[in-house]
Amino acid sequence: MNETLAPEFRPIVDAVEAHLLGKRHAISLTLAAFFAGGHVLLEDIPGVGKTTLAKTFANVMGLDFGRVQFTGDLLPSDILGVSYFDQESGKFVLKKGPIFTQFLLADEINRSMPKTQSALLEAMEEHHVTIDGISHPLKEPFFVIATQNPHEEVGTFALPHSQLDRFLCSFGIGYPDKEAERAVLLGGGSRAAAAVPLIDAAAINTAMEAVRTVHLSPALIDYLQSLIAYTRDSGRFVYGLSTRGALALAAMTRAWAHLHGRDYAVPDDVQAVLGEVCLHRLAFKEGVTTLNRIRHELFSHVPADA
Amino acid sequence: MRFSAILRFTDPAARGKSRIVKRLNAWRETRELFLLDLAYLAVVTPVLLLVKLPMLLFLLLVLVLLLARKRGSVATLLFVALAGLFAIFFSIYGAFNFAGLSRLKLFVELILYLLLLAVSLQRLTRTINFYLLVSPVLLLALSLFFFDSIAMLVYVVFEVFVLLWLILAYRTRADALSSLRVTGMLFALSLPWVVLLFFFFPRISFEHASYGFRGDEITRTGHDGTMRMDGAALLVPSERIVMEVGFQNAMPPDGQLYFRGSVLYRDKKDHWEPLPSYVRRAFAPKQNAQAGMYRSADEVTAYKVSLYPTHKKWLYLLDLPIEAPEGATINADFETTLEKPVNEPQHYDAGSALVYRYGDRTERSVLAYARDVNRSANPRSAKAADTIAAANPDPKQRLDALLRFFRDQNLTYSLRPEPLDLNHTADSFLFDKRKGYCVHFAGSFVTLSRLAGLPARVVTGYKADRKNSVKNYLAVKERDAHAWAEVYLSDHWQRIETTAAAAFIDSESAELLRQTGTLEDNGERLTRLNLYLLYVKYQVETWVLQYSHFRQMRLLENVKQHPALAAKLAAAFALIVLASAALFLWLRRPRCKDKLLCLLRPLLTRLQRSGFEREEGETLHRLFARYLETYPGSTLTEVDRLYHRLQYGTAHEDAVQFKKAIRAFLRESPAKGDSDARKL
Repeated sequence: MNETLAPEFRPIVDAVEAHLLGKRHAISLTLAAFFAGGHVLLEDIPGVGKTTLAKTFANVMGLDFGRVQFTGDLLPSDILGVSYFDQESGKFVLKKGPIFTQFLLADEINRSMPKTQSALLEAMEEHHVTIDGISHPLKEPFFVIATQNPHEEVGTFALPHSQLDRFLCSFGIGYPDKEAERAVLLGGGSRAAAAVPLIDAAAINTAMEAVRTVHLSPALIDYLQSLIAYTRDSGRFVYGLSTRGALALAAMTRAWAHLHGRDYAVPDDVQAVLGEVCLHRLAFKEGVTTLNRIRHELFSHVPADA
Repeated sequence: MRFSAILRFTDPAARGKSRIVKRLNAWRETRELFLLDLAYLAVVTPVLLLVKLPMLLFLLLVLVLLLARKRGSVATLLFVALAGLFAIFFSIYGAFNFAGLSRLKLFVELILYLLLLAVSLQRLTRTINFYLLVSPVLLLALSLFFFDSIAMLVYVVFEVFVLLWLILAYRTRADALSSLRVTGMLFALSLPWVVLLFFFFPRISFEHASYGFRGDEITRTGHDGTMRMDGAALLVPSERIVMEVGFQNAMPPDGQLYFRGSVLYRDKKDHWEPLPSYVRRAFAPKQNAQAGMYRSADEVTAYKVSLYPTHKKWLYLLDLPIEAPEGATINADFETTLEKPVNEPQHYDAGSALVYRYGDRTERSVLAYARDVNRSANPRSAKAADTIAAANPDPKQRLDALLRFFRDQNLTYSLRPEPLDLNHTADSFLFDKRKGYCVHFAGSFVTLSRLAGLPARVVTGYKADRKNSVKNYLAVKERDAHAWAEVYLSDHWQRIETTAAAAFIDSESAELLRQTGTLEDNGERLTRLNLYLLYVKYQVETWVLQYSHFRQMRLLENVKQHPALAAKLAAAFALIVLASAALFLWLRRPRCKDKLLCLLRPLLTRLQRSGFEREEGETLHRLFARYLETYPGSTLTEVDRLYHRLQYGTAHEDAVQFKKAIRAFLRESPAKGDSDARKL
């Protein structure tokens, strides 16, 4: 059984890691979410490399990169674009907003008004935007990394539960460890050398297709279902995982298995992604909800391989 | 905090919870009643066969009330109580005096009725009390007073099992299946105790109680000591079993299975009679087969007989009985009789010499009876006999000639012959009607041979058929009742199978025989199966149901005297203990949901022993990886790979490789475990 990255994906992770030292897991998760066709919510304090991760990732994947800084006065049209009447041609012309890209970094998403948030989320879900009643498809693949600062409360609009559910997974990047930080200080994680694309559109499509066909055996489905059932029935959470959450868990599991060169998923894959899939979907009835607490709660109560 | 409180208040699931709890409690109550009803259903079923019609009607009334879900109001209970008392009154109306109560059976019956009434009243109130819980066991115990059969034996085992199961389900509130498993385990554990108690628990003999074998009290037909020549003697061949015989060794051939009943000398026209009692009294002393009558003691056939109540005094033994069973006597004609008629099943051991020669000490007076014949009654037979006698002065040749003549009459075997002219029985049979069954053949031949000057007599009894046998077990049925002749020739009695002289068998009789299953072409397998069942039944009756106080004492005595027997019994008991333990362990075996994990179990145990216990939430892969860090290059890698491929992969490989890998690891790891131990 493989637990190291498959050779075709190792250079990608290595390349991103060169810019974001010691954050292999976060990078792998981002890659997995990308191949699973979902979007990522990065929840962390400023200055730990959220933007670096997004930018480098977009470069390495060879994707068009767009960025929107969410502010309190940001309007939906600022993201989607507007159609205006062009007097020369006498027609309505669409001025495309920043969302017409392949890779969108939605920075500090919780700072904008819910109306703006939902405009973005709709696009994330449906991969097209509607302006003045006309539907415009987005470029494929379409991938969003949204960030939010968990500690700021003044002037923010927390994403409602139903909106959070649309992110495939959510995690923080966290402080680098001592070694990595030392390397950064020494000028290691060089921002100078621009990352070059290491994968083309065809390979991305192949990988996405392969992720969809990763085999989930009955035993694995049993494990997934027991986990899901625990979140719903144990009484420890305010609400359990939704079916969309369950699908997200399956998709991330598949992607993780594929990243590690297997065409079937094992419980270790589930455990690798479970916390990140659940973090923004579950809330403990009592106490703080953290990644590690969710992991511990679920792993210790729902045994794998049993 | 406030938020969660509000949430709990508004959560419809939480609000519904109290309702669910209520319903659950209600269900528990009805569940207890339901379990109790099941218990009653199990124990009352055999009781229904016992109780009389009024009581049955009463029980039906209670059932209807229960099904109508009527709560036991005072009025209803009063009504039911009255109805019950009336039912009891009418049930034991016939035996309704206090003298009758001294009969144990009636007394037990009354108690049974009262218990049924009490239980019905309590059940109608729909509240469970201690008495209602205990009563199924009481009912079971009471019903044991009435039954003494294999069916009931099996049913009682079933009942005990069901009651135990229900008690467990009731007490533990476990689901039906798991309590069934526990019941099985308890049953397995109890097996040695049951055997031990069966053999050694003091037995109570009920010999003097006046209840016996229900259904066995009907007077049986078959052999009855005389021989009627009119057509009323035999109507339909009956399949009812008269006796069952277990031979110690191999079963004798068909031609030797003659069970002797009575010996008849006197032709009374419509029937044959034994010698008058005053003559028979003169026969004393009684006679046993003695050396000289048979060749050697080695040739004696030993067998065990279970004779069902015949209400006659004969015991049936094979020709020629060596010794009378205890309490019976054998007379000079080798009739074996008891002082009293057989009203209870008799079980006796016997020995017979099947090749014999006897009769040289037959008294003259007896021979005179065996010659006595009325020539005028059968003139045509007399004429024929005279001719044969004149032509064959040598008695042996004369007998052969008589048999030839008999055979040449073209006689037909028929179970429904036309009535003979009873004033000239032999003539009518031999020359006119020429149809009859064994009694007509035997009677006419004896008359003929007496007319020809040879002393002869009729013997009646049972001629068993090996078709009704399994291994060394033989069932003798009423249809096997038979009559044959004995001719006195050169100082000994010789058996003549007279029915063998029949030239034809009429179609109707053939049909009758077929219907009752003696002829070959009747569903052979079914007959065999039936016989096997009879065989098993016989063995159970002999060794379980008939295991009386007397047998118990005899067994204990034997054990004391023969250490070998004691050793054998101990060994058998040890086997039973082993079987019970095995059964217990088998039932207790852990349930495997998953085949692969089952296969892995010994490996996991081994890992645990070498200090690699699975941690909370740890996947097998991580556990294996932990081990492999300490012991790189272990074959566990292969187990890990195969497990994940088989359990989670797409390849449908078989588990053979996996099993091999596990075995390889188990072979490899103990050395490591040892070295660990040494290190420690």
